[in-house]
Amino acid sequence: MSDGASAIHTQMLTKDYGAGRGIFDLDLDVAEGEVFGFLGPNGAGKTTTIKLLMGLSHATRGAAAIFGLDADRDAVAVKKRVGYVPGELPQFGGWRGSEIVAYIAGLRGDVDDAAVEAISKRIDLDLGRKYREYSHGNKQKLALLLAFAPRAGLLILDEPTSGLDPLHQQEFYGLVRDARSRGATVFMSSHVLSEVEHVCDRVGIVREGHLATVGTLDQLTGIRAHHVRIEFADAVPADRLRALKGFDGLTIDGRRVAGLYRGSFDELLGAIAGARVATLESREPTLEEIFLSYYAT
Amino acid sequence: MTLLRLAFRAQRTGLIATVLIGGLAGLLNSVAYVQVAGTTPAARAVFAHQMEILGQQLVYLLPRPVQLDTMGGYLTWRDLSTVATIFVVWAMLAATGAGRGDEERGLTETWLASGVSRTRWLATRCLAFLGVAAASVAISLGLTAAGAAISGDALPLGSVAAQCLPVLAITLWGFGVGLVIAQLLGTRRAASVAGGIVIVALFTLNSTVRAGADPSALKWLSPFYLFDRSTPLLAGGTLDGGATAAMVVEALVLAGLAVYAFARRDVGSTLIRGRASTAPATHRPSGDPMLRLAVLAAIDQQRGWIIGWTVAMTALGYFLSSLSRTLLDSFRDIPSLQVYLSAMGIGSVVDVVGVIWFSTALLIICIFAVAQVNGWAADDAEGRLEMVLAAGVSRTRVVLERIAVLLVAAGIVSVVSTAGVWAAAGTLGIAVPADRMLLAALLMLPVVFAVGAIGQALAGWRPRVAVVLITAIAVISYFMQEFGPVFAWPEWVQRTSLFVLYGEPVTKVDWAGTATLLGIGLAGTAVALVAMRRRDVGR
Repeated sequence: MSDGASAIHTQMLTKDYGAGRGIFDLDLDVAEGEVFGFLGPNGAGKTTTIKLLMGLSHATRGAAAIFGLDADRDAVAVKKRVGYVPGELPQFGGWRGSEIVAYIAGLRGDVDDAAVEAISKRIDLDLGRKYREYSHGNKQKLALLLAFAPRAGLLILDEPTSGLDPLHQQEFYGLVRDARSRGATVFMSSHVLSEVEHVCDRVGIVREGHLATVGTLDQLTGIRAHHVRIEFADAVPADRLRALKGFDGLTIDGRRVAGLYRGSFDELLGAIAGARVATLESREPTLEEIFLSYYAT
Repeated sequence: MTLLRLAFRAQRTGLIATVLIGGLAGLLNSVAYVQVAGTTPAARAVFAHQMEILGQQLVYLLPRPVQLDTMGGYLTWRDLSTVATIFVVWAMLAATGAGRGDEERGLTETWLASGVSRTRWLATRCLAFLGVAAASVAISLGLTAAGAAISGDALPLGSVAAQCLPVLAITLWGFGVGLVIAQLLGTRRAASVAGGIVIVALFTLNSTVRAGADPSALKWLSPFYLFDRSTPLLAGGTLDGGATAAMVVEALVLAGLAVYAFARRDVGSTLIRGRASTAPATHRPSGDPMLRLAVLAAIDQQRGWIIGWTVAMTALGYFLSSLSRTLLDSFRDIPSLQVYLSAMGIGSVVDVVGVIWFSTALLIICIFAVAQVNGWAADDAEGRLEMVLAAGVSRTRVVLERIAVLLVAAGIVSVVSTAGVWAAAGTLGIAVPADRMLLAALLMLPVVFAVGAIGQALAGWRPRVAVVLITAIAVISYFMQEFGPVFAWPEWVQRTSLFVLYGEPVTKVDWAGTATLLGIGLAGTAVALVAMRRRDVGR
């Protein structure tokens, strides 16, 4: 079971809630010092996997190891080496942020007050306020602070940017990069592809409880896609657009063109060069939309 | 209909608890009446005379005693006003849950976002509570009437039905008060405390009326005064329609005010909002050293709660001590109660202090333990347990630390309040041995241990059910201790009560009972440890 080079190693890891819900036969390796993105739509099994890694849930079968320690049997030792952001934020009611940090720091025993101060300033979190007065974003910041302040060897983060504004998302990416630069491993779940692109070395994609694919971002280039809608002011260069590779479900309705584009934007812009474009929209599709098109082709 | 169904579901636990308490109290009191008062007019006259003397001392708690030689008079005095008070407190707590608790959990926001109007949201909660309260009152008084019928001293059904009305009316009043206060304060806990203060204040106002004072028009403010005006179970007694209607109208007005306030305020906020803090931001952890120490961190966070329980219990203890002499004199003159006194080991006023105080304190301490178990269930449901485990705390430590926190907190409450009672008894000229009092206070901890351990074992299985079940265990244990000797139940039956196992340690320590309680506690803790290790944590 033990693998010295792996921060996380799972073997046939399964949690079966029945009715097809859970995570099934997960074989995964995350190397030490790696930033790993665990992607999947809502209900795919990301949080279930994270709870298994954290020893909060017991596997139906299979096993998980963190730094060579059994995630279930050695759960206490494992968690001393892990910083954790839960998927659902806890309720601390009338506690002040500073009290929550002191309490959790007391339980862990490895949290430096200076690190708390540095991170809370960096993410602009006032610890003097009561938890119930925090906005959702501030609660998420507190969860990030509790995960990053111990400077743990492994960070397990369940949808860590949930509720953060774009400015603080950037700060979060900075925290992840800093953690990686000091040798920490990061395992973060998300349901937004562009988010993991910012910081992850490799990505695993889980769908309906099964690991669909694992690879580097370069290897998964083919999976990246955008919904593209173009409205032309005059004639549509239809032949050139149809000739483009990776334009799935291309529809041309009068002067309007739409489809899911999985390819280089240079080539797309080249195809429409010379034509008069009235509007051009590009948006990231949901993971489910990407999967449906990616695995259907 | 979905909204209404959910609103009914939210009151399910309260319905079970109030039926259990109100129904059981009524049933046992009505059955016990014939046992203690006798069946002949002569025996009942003696009983009534002595209890009326005692009743004069209890007017701060109970109505003035009238017609205690009849079943209806006894129940009006001994049972109904107490049950009504319990129902008011329940209604207030239910209202703060509906008006603020659901908001804290995000339920209100979700429903409003789905297109439900604020008026409909709150009106549905009111309607559901009306239905649940009516059912609870009817079942409780039905059981009371059944008890009277079983004893061969049946109550007129029309009178019982009439008695339901003021009980229901005062319950609705409690709900209205809780609903309004929930609009004014930011948390359910704060609203519940404020609601409790209002209820105690208005109860005390009526107590002064019962004691003979006349606070003129002020007395009409108290729903307890309005409630006392109806006495349909007495011979020649009537339902005061005006007073009952007044309580219903007040409840409607309060509910209307709550709806108005809810419509005006921001969701998640209070009606009157203070200015935002201008204190400079802080980025350092709290310097409170207690927060970093096992067990003490939890005690530190509960300090206000623990102080509140201690103060309230000490005040109650002083009041009960002041009644000791009168109680003993009254009981001694009632032949049927001689057996009871003997069975309870009561021979002197010192014994009375011990018996009255510790049986009451034990019930309150058990409620304190139930509140702690409720908090443990909430720790899991609200994600705090997950955070604690994620910080590298073992599941075994969680279980043991919870028990330790409970024992330390209950120890503080019981020892400090008992010290207060001992001091109060001294000022009343009752010399209770300090060492016996301290021993009796400390021996409450095995009971708390047993309740907490059973609760924790159950909480690992079904958190919501756990609270109901241990409440039932505590209430049934209390009633078995109170009524077991009266009905001369077999000893083995009585000793299934945690309270009976505690015994009367001021007069005689029951070491076998204490050992049994410790055994229950250890077994419960063992089950809790296994359950905690095996279960999945998280929402």
